Amino acid sequence: MASSSVIRSRDVKLQGVPASPGVAAGRVLRLDERGRHQFYYIGVSAAQARMEVRRLREALQEARAQLQEIKVRLAEELGYEHSFILDAHLLMLEDKRLIEELNHEITTRRVNAEWAVRSVADRIISAYNKVNDLYLRERTSDLEDVATRLLTILSGHDKFDLSKLDQDVIIVANNIWPSTVAELDFKHVLGFATNTGGLTSHSAIIARSLGIPAVVGLHEVTRLAKTGNVIVIDGAEGCVILRPTKPVLTAYLGKRKREAGGRTRPAADAAQAAETTDGVRITLRANVELPTEIESLALFGAEGIGLYRSEFLFLNRLPELPGEDEQYEVYRKLALATGDAGANIRVFDLGGDKLALGGFEAEQNPALGLRGMRLSLKVEHVFRTQLRAILRANLHGHLRVVLPLISTITELREAKRIIADVKQEMAEARVEHNAELPIGVMIEVPAAAMMGDVFAREADFLSVGTNDLIQYMLAVDRANENVAHLYQPLHPAILRTIADLVRVAEAEQVPLELCGEMAADPLQAIALIGLGIRTLSLVPGSIPLVKNAIRSVELERVRALLKEAMKLTSSTEVEELLASELPRQAPRFFAAWSSRA
Amino acid sequence: MQERTVTISNRLGLHARAAARLVRRASQFNSNVTLLRKDTGETADGKSILSVLLLAASLGTSLIIKTEGDDEERAVNALVELVEQKFGEELSDGVF
Repeated sequence: MASSSVIRSRDVKLQGVPASPGVAAGRVLRLDERGRHQFYYIGVSAAQARMEVRRLREALQEARAQLQEIKVRLAEELGYEHSFILDAHLLMLEDKRLIEELNHEITTRRVNAEWAVRSVADRIISAYNKVNDLYLRERTSDLEDVATRLLTILSGHDKFDLSKLDQDVIIVANNIWPSTVAELDFKHVLGFATNTGGLTSHSAIIARSLGIPAVVGLHEVTRLAKTGNVIVIDGAEGCVILRPTKPVLTAYLGKRKREAGGRTRPAADAAQAAETTDGVRITLRANVELPTEIESLALFGAEGIGLYRSEFLFLNRLPELPGEDEQYEVYRKLALATGDAGANIRVFDLGGDKLALGGFEAEQNPALGLRGMRLSLKVEHVFRTQLRAILRANLHGHLRVVLPLISTITELREAKRIIADVKQEMAEARVEHNAELPIGVMIEVPAAAMMGDVFAREADFLSVGTNDLIQYMLAVDRANENVAHLYQPLHPAILRTIADLVRVAEAEQVPLELCGEMAADPLQAIALIGLGIRTLSLVPGSIPLVKNAIRSVELERVRALLKEAMKLTSSTEVEELLASELPRQAPRFFAAWSSRA
Repeated sequence: MQERTVTISNRLGLHARAAARLVRRASQFNSNVTLLRKDTGETADGKSILSVLLLAASLGTSLIIKTEGDDEERAVNALVELVEQKFGEELSDGVF
């Protein structure tokens, strides 16, 4: 990885989609879509062509060996079900037709193996691109992945081992491929910046779960950034600055320093309780999607899991479904890892964009379509399988179930009836399980928020999902750049709704939790505790930072401040009030925080 | 030579994973395996994943499976069964 300091500094700012918070500054490692390395056309003699054929054969062997190894690693880290994608890759490397075509290309056109790989792959890819089937057309990325691997092996001199990075890098790529994710040495990866992708893209999910800053949807970052360039990523603002000038770099390094020990690295005091200066204890739990994240919970000081997004178990292996035993293993791991603090398992929340991702027929209006609990009730047998797995795993800990996207009380009643039925079936069949399974409702639809008292009477707990609640209340798709500015967590309507939910939960004496990115922003998290929320669930990487913020404030003063804020008429006014008052109340944390670049 | 007509009935058609299954199954036999799309007349080598993928046989496509060799009957039966079982990836309610 040569550093190219010859390129003059000049701030090139690109705006993308903020995918994972935090600031990172470092050198670019660009993973080109067209191969990680340069390759050239070389004409060869007949004798040399035989050599090239042998080189190709060895490269194919090496590629197969690498893929087998990655498959094992992927199975260990993400679960066996996620390794299937590599099966198709392996078959491609064994494909008689491909191998024959490559050999033919080398011997008749007398070219080097690299050139043969590139031109044959291009030919097949262009044939695929004519196929009138979106899902099949997307398979070209699998072939590209395979071709890239071969080219990397063939290029020999620069054997680039992603799993043994010797310096910290910021990955710049068109997109992060599943096999790349499995190979990367995350100790040295400071952040991601990708051309494509939205909040739910693979790269965004991985970055958030690992607590590294990421910006996606940058369109042309791979064109502008070269390996070795200095780059700054601001994962909260969703921008990157290429080849920053000294003052800009210094400003961001300062911002990063203020955040250090916060988002990207677990603080030494992570295990300390999140207690306000006047002694009010706030519970901080973790939002989790990947099994690998479970191990880092203690490191970040999480008290159990407030949201386990079980759809990740489903998402990567559609159209097949994970079986009961396979789910049981994951839930048991959750139960054992979280002990008394417990874990909330959200019933698989597929639908909307995620269904589209799995290659399913797109709905006219997926955000308002068949998703969340609506889907679970429709595919009741899938819901039942999941419940059986959870009830069995619950023998090992304290699991709870959260039902997503509930808009009517009938849905809750129907779900409860099914749960009772599953328990009875299991009891009759003498299947060992723990029936002490609290059922919670996710409040993420305005109708459910308005009917909070009704839900509080019939559910064991409420969980406010702010990401969706804000989007539905304000009718804003935050991934849509035309309206993203209207996604305002501190909108007075949101504050009123949350305050109201706190009130009804107290009146009905039902536990209330809140999960969502709001909880991961120190300023907004403080606003939430000022409104009366006592349990927050957030990305593990942000827990230490939010803990520090909580430990710097006096709850009584924050409550008074929020009372003032509730009288305001716009999000901007609320933000201004909090941004000016909190540093005064809690200079230890917020003075530094608010002067961020 | 054995010849049977099947209709692709799994939702995603012969996509990467289904194709991988088909190729793995076909490769277990000595016989040559050829797939022929009834509507376009395109053919594919049933033992080559790239070739099978290029058929782009989506839901509803009619395919003729041809096998030729010493185990042609077992081969054709095994492949027809795989297609009829929707490559083991479908559930009955039509959502997944």
